[in-house]
Amino acid sequence: MPIGLIAEICDFQFKVQNKVKALTFFKKISDKLTHSLLLILMSEVQRKKYSDKEKNHIFDREFMPHIDSMYNFAYRLTFDEDDAKDLVQDTYLKAYRFINSFEQGTNAKAWLFRILKNSFINDYRKKSKQPAKVDYQEVETYYNSDDVDYSSTTDLRVDAVKDMLGDEISNALNSLAVDFRTVIILCDLEGFTYEEMAKILDIPIGTVRSRLHRARNLLKDKLRSYAQTMGYDTDEEE
Amino acid sequence: MDKNLSSAGEKKTNCAEQSKCFQLLESILDGENIPDGDKILKEKLEKCEPCYRHFHLEMAIKELLKTKCCHQITPQDLLDNIRKKVQEIK
Repeated sequence: MPIGLIAEICDFQFKVQNKVKALTFFKKISDKLTHSLLLILMSEVQRKKYSDKEKNHIFDREFMPHIDSMYNFAYRLTFDEDDAKDLVQDTYLKAYRFINSFEQGTNAKAWLFRILKNSFINDYRKKSKQPAKVDYQEVETYYNSDDVDYSSTTDLRVDAVKDMLGDEISNALNSLAVDFRTVIILCDLEGFTYEEMAKILDIPIGTVRSRLHRARNLLKDKLRSYAQTMGYDTDEEE
Repeated sequence: MDKNLSSAGEKKTNCAEQSKCFQLLESILDGENIPDGDKILKEKLEKCEPCYRHFHLEMAIKELLKTKCCHQITPQDLLDNIRKKVQEIK
């Protein structure tokens, strides 16, 4: 191949590479610009959304009425009165600071629960006095198999459950790994729909359904052992 | 005689798709909008013993959780602190 031709090819390749580099650079810049513009626009919209009077109204009428549920949730996550107080207080202060991201008419309770759950994961889970004993991924993989032994759970009788005291059911709930405990609290204690739970937990609805099912099987295992120690007949029904 | 039928001769004593059925029953119990939910529930409860027992047991546990695990009273100092700190932000 003549040297002149090789030089020409090299030159061409150099130009092409540079063009690609330049294009990538422009794309990066424009993406960043679009992103920053979006952020500016969002904060602009946020800043002007609610007046102080409206903010107070939302806070008092839509946020504060859920405080008992929030405290119950926080207490069942942390098992510590002071941690639960801190968690709820942080959540309410965040809710006030970011009140402009709250859409009036949407579900305030779900919005607050989502903030609390995120605060728990980010701030408390690491320093919690009773950290999650089992890593969530591990639990999910373990229980995600379909061969859960139902025979051990189906023989718990309705009568035995109905006679249980608050302590037994409460302890059984508290003994579950945090992710299983959470879905039961959200669904059975607080009455959230699967769709709301999916949003609060950032997981697909299918995962909500299966996690809840597995959580209930684990809870029944616990209740069954309580029923046995209480002397209830857990055998087949008469 | 089919072993899978109870002595009454009408209810199945084994559920072939237990995991799937139980999840569906739980969704109905949780008030999820399942197409033909009422019809499915009626049929399962009438024809399948494991489904019948699972549904009623879950219902009892759900009721127990709701009545026994929701009564935390928010400490007054927490309420006071929130009000105070929100005033500070304002």
